[in-house]
Amino acid sequence: MTVSAPVHRPSLFGPLLALLAMMVLVLVAAVFLGVADIPPGDVAAVLTGHGSDEARSIILDIRLPRIVTGILAGIHFAVAGLLLQTITRNPLADPSIMGISQGATLAVTVFLVFTVYISEPGSNTLAALPLAWLPAIGTLGGMAAGGLIYVLAFRLDLGPLRITLCGIAIGAVLHAAAIGLIAGWGSARIEILLEWLSGSLYARSWTHALFLVPFTIAGLAALPALRRSIDLLRFDPTVARSFGLSYRKQFSIVLLLSCALAASAVGAVGPIIFVGLVVPHLARFLVGRHFALVLPLTIALGAFIVTLGDLLGRLLGQAEEIPIGVITALFGVPVLIALLRKIP
Amino acid sequence: MGRSLVVTTLIVAATLFVIVTGLLVGAKPLGLSKLWPVLLSPDGKIDSILVWSLRLPRSLAAVVAGAGLAVSGYLLQALTRNPLAGPDITGVASGAVAPIVFCFVFLPWISSVYYPFVGLAGGLAAASVTLWVSRGGEGRPLHLALGGISISLFLGAATTYVLLLSGPQAPSLLFWLSGGFQGRSWPHLLYMTPWVLGGLAGAFACHRIIGMLALSEHASIGMGLNMRFWKPVLLLFAVLPVAGVAPIAGPVAFVGLVSPHIARLLKPHNIGWSIALTAAIGALMVVTADVIARSVALPRELPVGIITALLGGPFFIYLVQTRRFSLKGGQSR
Repeated sequence: MTVSAPVHRPSLFGPLLALLAMMVLVLVAAVFLGVADIPPGDVAAVLTGHGSDEARSIILDIRLPRIVTGILAGIHFAVAGLLLQTITRNPLADPSIMGISQGATLAVTVFLVFTVYISEPGSNTLAALPLAWLPAIGTLGGMAAGGLIYVLAFRLDLGPLRITLCGIAIGAVLHAAAIGLIAGWGSARIEILLEWLSGSLYARSWTHALFLVPFTIAGLAALPALRRSIDLLRFDPTVARSFGLSYRKQFSIVLLLSCALAASAVGAVGPIIFVGLVVPHLARFLVGRHFALVLPLTIALGAFIVTLGDLLGRLLGQAEEIPIGVITALFGVPVLIALLRKIP
Repeated sequence: MGRSLVVTTLIVAATLFVIVTGLLVGAKPLGLSKLWPVLLSPDGKIDSILVWSLRLPRSLAAVVAGAGLAVSGYLLQALTRNPLAGPDITGVASGAVAPIVFCFVFLPWISSVYYPFVGLAGGLAAASVTLWVSRGGEGRPLHLALGGISISLFLGAATTYVLLLSGPQAPSLLFWLSGGFQGRSWPHLLYMTPWVLGGLAGAFACHRIIGMLALSEHASIGMGLNMRFWKPVLLLFAVLPVAGVAPIAGPVAFVGLVSPHIARLLKPHNIGWSIALTAAIGALMVVTADVIARSVALPRELPVGIITALLGGPFFIYLVQTRRFSLKGGQSR
């Protein structure tokens, strides 16, 4: 390692620089391109504090908050995926597979059914939807599902494989319950839920970004403190304990952290499938054995992929934009299948 | 032999009991004394219409669908030698559903008569990808579970997007998607029965092959089994019932996964009895779920999928936790 590192490091510089350039490019494109055609000059004017009112409202109140929310959510999903993959020692762990997303979905569904349907059955007005509450409710639901997985995992001292399978099972049950509720509810307001269900950045405002910021800051600030435990949780419990790690406590803390990150992101933008799964693998693939670089690259790539996916969805779909969840599923599945074939 | 017969008879009797109960309950409850005259001599009045064209065919459809899904799960578990296989987790169900939704929304000129064929093609395609990922079922169960789940999620995302584009049709499509027998009558029953019977007959005909597969892949090849021929055949028999049931009832969750395990707990005498018992348990489960779904939330109706998920899901989680449940590949039970 000490011998190979100096050989490898210079070769990483080029690709990382190219990646950085691509990220900046996509970010700029995401601000400048959109369904509403605004000349680049006007966009630049808005960004420097001038420009017409219309352009200002489109850029500052629609595009920018949407991009920022997407970046934050992408970071959340990617870091949560990396943490889950590390602690379950399972290269395929992901919040959208292990029940956290489904818990958030069920909570949001139950909340909407009870607040809207019970208070005014039969009404089809969209304005009555308490949309502002959705992120918080989704976060609570995702955390609850994470707690359930945790309880099941520790009550019987399950291994990582069984934890993953428990997560899959819980996810399947919660998903069935949520879909059942939506279907049984059967009203014209279903579209809001569908939009949310497929994972979408449509109409995300600064409120959503502000909702995510505390989680992002807390999560990222906790990571350096947890670095040693994360490194050790990669190993068997016995091995980790022999290094002086209080396995159970650290496992719980890291699981809690990843649940909080994933659940808050699902609450804000809905379940964006596969970002948490694929991004850590991409990061590992790009930087190889340089463990120190995996985490920063995971964060950067998470932000990058969600921004890129959202831009694609906006441009390809035109007026009827394609939800980001659909885009990530379309591009994530081939990557995942290839990974599954490669892992022994 | 005798025990298997008794257990199967008991389950069939329970199923009949639930069917009769299902004739009585509903938006307009019917007294037991009124039921027999109506059943024996239908007179075209409201009660006889209720029984003969609403409740009875609907319950029978649930029985047939349940038996079909359960046998499908049984075959998939035998084929992959993986206790987690089932129409849901191998992607067969979503593979059957996604193209049907697509046809319904974008190709409305395709008659619904052809939907089972569309579902068959989709289910086979999805199952093939899952099997390829899990190396024909030889890989670890995790591969199968994760491969199937990812394919299901992928198809689910595509289905959700199609629903978003479908606009006003979305609510009815969603109800169908969560599984249900609302308004299903004789034509629907007739429409799906051949598909289910095909799967059942195939399973019974292949019971010796299934027995050999249960040992191990190498052993069955050693006994002269041509795996390249039999695996696709078994897969076809496993997808047939799902393809027939999906256009009528949607994907009814967990039945295919859980029924074979319950059957196994009852220790059937041989493979043939296993199949019969699995089918009977699936039928009982779905018809019970259907009666619950249409009677607990009157006048509304719940999707059957919720009830089967609530019945089957906890059992599945219990199954994952038990130590007896092997997670290594290449073992049958």
